[in-house]
Amino acid sequence: MTISRRKFLQVAGLTGSALLAGGRKPADAAGSAQAAQVGQAEKKGVEFYGMLVDTTKCIGCRSCEEACNEKNKLPKPEVSFSSDSVFEKKRDTTPEAYTVLNKFPNPKDPEKPIFVRKQCMHCNQPACATACLVKALEKTPEGPVRYNKDRCMGCRYCMVSCPFDAPKYEYNSNMPYLQKCVFCSDLVNKGESPACVEACPEGASLFGKRRELIEIARQRIYQNPDKYHPYIYGEHEAGGTSMLFLSSVPVEKLDFRMNVGTLPYPEKTTGFLYAVPHIFILWPTFLYGLSYLTSQKKDKESGHGEE
Amino acid sequence: MERNNTIALPKGKSPTGADTVKGFFRFVLGELKPKGKILTPFNVISGLIILGGLILIVIRFAYGLGSITNLSQEYPWGIWIGFDVVTGVAFAGGAYTLCFVVHILNFKKYEPILKATVLNGFLAYCFYAGALLLDLGRPWNVINPIIGNAFGYSSVLFLVAWHFLLYTICQFVEVFPAVTEWLYWPKVRRYAKLCTTGAVIFGITLSTLHQSGLGALFMMASNKIHPLWYSGNIPILFFVSSIFAGLSMVIAESTISHRVFRAQISPHHHASFNDIVLGMAKGALGALFAYFFLKMIDLIHGSQWSLINTPMGYWYLVEIIGGIVIPIILFTVAILKNNVRLVQFTAVITALGVILNRLNISVIAFKWYSANRYYPSWAEIWVTAAVICMEIWAFRWIVSRMPIMNEHPAFPEEEKIDHKEAEVVQWKVSAS
Amino acid sequence: MEGFSFVDIFATKGVEYIIVMAFLAAFIYFSRYLAYRSPVPENATEERPVSYFRVPDGYHFHQGHSWLRKEKNSMGVVGLDDFAQKLVGKVESVELPRVGYHVAQGEKGWSLVAGSKSIPMLAPVSGEVVAVNQEILRSPGILSEDPYGKGWLFKVRSPKIESDTRQLLSGKVARAWMEDALDKLRPQNPENLGPVLADGGIPIEGIAPALGGEEWDKLARTHLLTDQV
Repeated sequence: MTISRRKFLQVAGLTGSALLAGGRKPADAAGSAQAAQVGQAEKKGVEFYGMLVDTTKCIGCRSCEEACNEKNKLPKPEVSFSSDSVFEKKRDTTPEAYTVLNKFPNPKDPEKPIFVRKQCMHCNQPACATACLVKALEKTPEGPVRYNKDRCMGCRYCMVSCPFDAPKYEYNSNMPYLQKCVFCSDLVNKGESPACVEACPEGASLFGKRRELIEIARQRIYQNPDKYHPYIYGEHEAGGTSMLFLSSVPVEKLDFRMNVGTLPYPEKTTGFLYAVPHIFILWPTFLYGLSYLTSQKKDKESGHGEE
Repeated sequence: MERNNTIALPKGKSPTGADTVKGFFRFVLGELKPKGKILTPFNVISGLIILGGLILIVIRFAYGLGSITNLSQEYPWGIWIGFDVVTGVAFAGGAYTLCFVVHILNFKKYEPILKATVLNGFLAYCFYAGALLLDLGRPWNVINPIIGNAFGYSSVLFLVAWHFLLYTICQFVEVFPAVTEWLYWPKVRRYAKLCTTGAVIFGITLSTLHQSGLGALFMMASNKIHPLWYSGNIPILFFVSSIFAGLSMVIAESTISHRVFRAQISPHHHASFNDIVLGMAKGALGALFAYFFLKMIDLIHGSQWSLINTPMGYWYLVEIIGGIVIPIILFTVAILKNNVRLVQFTAVITALGVILNRLNISVIAFKWYSANRYYPSWAEIWVTAAVICMEIWAFRWIVSRMPIMNEHPAFPEEEKIDHKEAEVVQWKVSAS
Repeated sequence: MEGFSFVDIFATKGVEYIIVMAFLAAFIYFSRYLAYRSPVPENATEERPVSYFRVPDGYHFHQGHSWLRKEKNSMGVVGLDDFAQKLVGKVESVELPRVGYHVAQGEKGWSLVAGSKSIPMLAPVSGEVVAVNQEILRSPGILSEDPYGKGWLFKVRSPKIESDTRQLLSGKVARAWMEDALDKLRPQNPENLGPVLADGGIPIEGIAPALGGEEWDKLARTHLLTDQV
């Protein structure tokens, strides 16, 4: 194979520039799969924060929506936050509303409808952060999945990957950004509770360490078996999420997605991504060998003429 | 016998004058003038499409994606990704397949169409990367994953993006010798030719990974794609289908090119064309056959039988039977009967089947349960058509000027001859 | 993973890609290195400098020291052999037939110009010239480097190529004929050559100019069978 210096320099140049641009090296340089799994954060004792949403306590006042709107400086909606008319239709988060309430009939008590908050679930292993090729979406060690809008190029792969369809895009802007709940990451990363939790008058939204919130949720279930349906949504969904939900009825009645599965979503791509370096090494070797072998057996035309 | 029966080339003078910077620009700008009739029906129609497309693109950048597309919060990806990028790249798979056959396996029989195929692949990647830029919300940030300070290497899209870039460079290296022949740069050509094997090997590796990578993009959308289409093996299926998609496209494109650029093609090449087409049909048949069984394994593995008896199940059957089984049967018949026309017809059907498969995974079976299904807006379709027309114009411009369909008369194919040391006769110093 | 703290399953990806790039760089470097160093000895013996006249397999030789290499579809490549090239020596230019011209086997095919002398050579095959080697016209020096490869002269389409080939020599028979030709070349009066051939070397200016003096073209033509042309 007569590869000239040019090709070598090309590869070397790419290597060099990639190194210079700074591929992020893990703090833990041992690099084995085991070591990666342990995680740097745990070594420092940083644990996820979470939010426990107890739908039995929610009265549908929408203070959380209002607080979120103010904290994130979102445009004011047309219908005011104190209006109940919004509950006539099923609502979803939008680029202008990071968290929305939906109203559901309560089969146990028709007088008391169930209100359910909907927003980004801040998964333990977020599909969106794995999907983002510029690390615009990042899972912080404290729990929030935050959005770095300067890096985003608007490919919307995160939207395709998210099992909860949480991120929303500003399609009507010529300088569009992604919009989703960021768990007030500037506050949470310091250990303070987010705006919606502060605003909730009934304590339906509770902020704390995820480990402790799960304990609290389990306690509530054990101590009040007729009040609570024995299921914590978000404990195992998509490998576990920071948002945890308790409800008095089976959660499928509350439009929760039941087809998310318990496998963390990034692990669905590991089969492919882990194979990539192997192919990078095996294919060139195999192809070069093949081309070398086939170039040896050039069929020669008969070299023996007759006189 | 005349003495002056030689071809004289003025010594050291380049026939194109492109050996200086000024000469280069003069030559290239001169070559931009259109050859042949300007107001042909094809030119007028495609010109209007392109013009309309450009206007739509301006509107898109002025008012945002929502102004001309039907993209929504439910359907973040439409046909600009599903068709232009995902399907277009599958069709460009002919380039790496033929490079493998010609450069690695050394089957020189397919060499005549290789340059046109690689050129097509190169242009496809260039234009579909362009279409991708249109779809991005903030296209100026597209350099971020390349030079940015945060490589998202956990992302399959990161891999696909980098491979796009590297593979386009590889294809350029493979096409570059023809460009140097057009510009008449013999020394550059020699260096360019040295890089070919490396570019081919690297290119095949990259292709394998990004063809399957495009499939791996959908791995995390597991609860959104219909179970009949979603499986852990999507990457492998995409890779195998890119082989027969690429070959079908090569068959279709070379059929058209052979008619349009008839004058350029040597009689030697014309004579072997049917042979080449049949050979590619065999390759496509092999890949289709394997693909069918891979799909069957997925169907059984997922225990999805009961789903066949649903509307989406019927649609699945249309894709499998129409896009795989029927082409298998038709290709077999065509090969047995040496029927080139049937091969070309089947290639079109196979191509349609691949389009269907890719669109299914990206937009049709994607959130099939949704109340507001996605359908492309007329503007999205128009822009897609405009991109395709632009690519055809670029292809036509290049093929009319550069030695793609034929050999440049000054640079005929050189063959490497091995001289065995045993084939020599010694000059004997002493008289025998 | 109990799901209470941060875990990055792709933490080592960056390093893995760097390893891949290192592999590719090393692969390219080593394959180039091995290709250059793979053993194809230039000259098997270094004890005595001997001159080799290459008579490769796969070529069909005309007694006038031109060769034909057959290609598919009645095409053929034509050139001159190692003997002719060494006989004539430094060629200044080659006069080749134009594309479309018809050559005939055993008749004049082209001429080599050296000094003021023009040496014609016979074509090994009949046919129509379809391509001419431009490189040779620009740098005839290639003839001495690679008369069987890069030094090809022109390509012909020859419908009667099979019957023409039967008139030509190849393989062992060709090598025997070449030995004969070399024998015939042995000078009649050895004193003329002493220093030139003592070490077995081929004179740079060509065997014919070295042996034949002023009228060396007549000597060349004799051996190339074009003295009557």
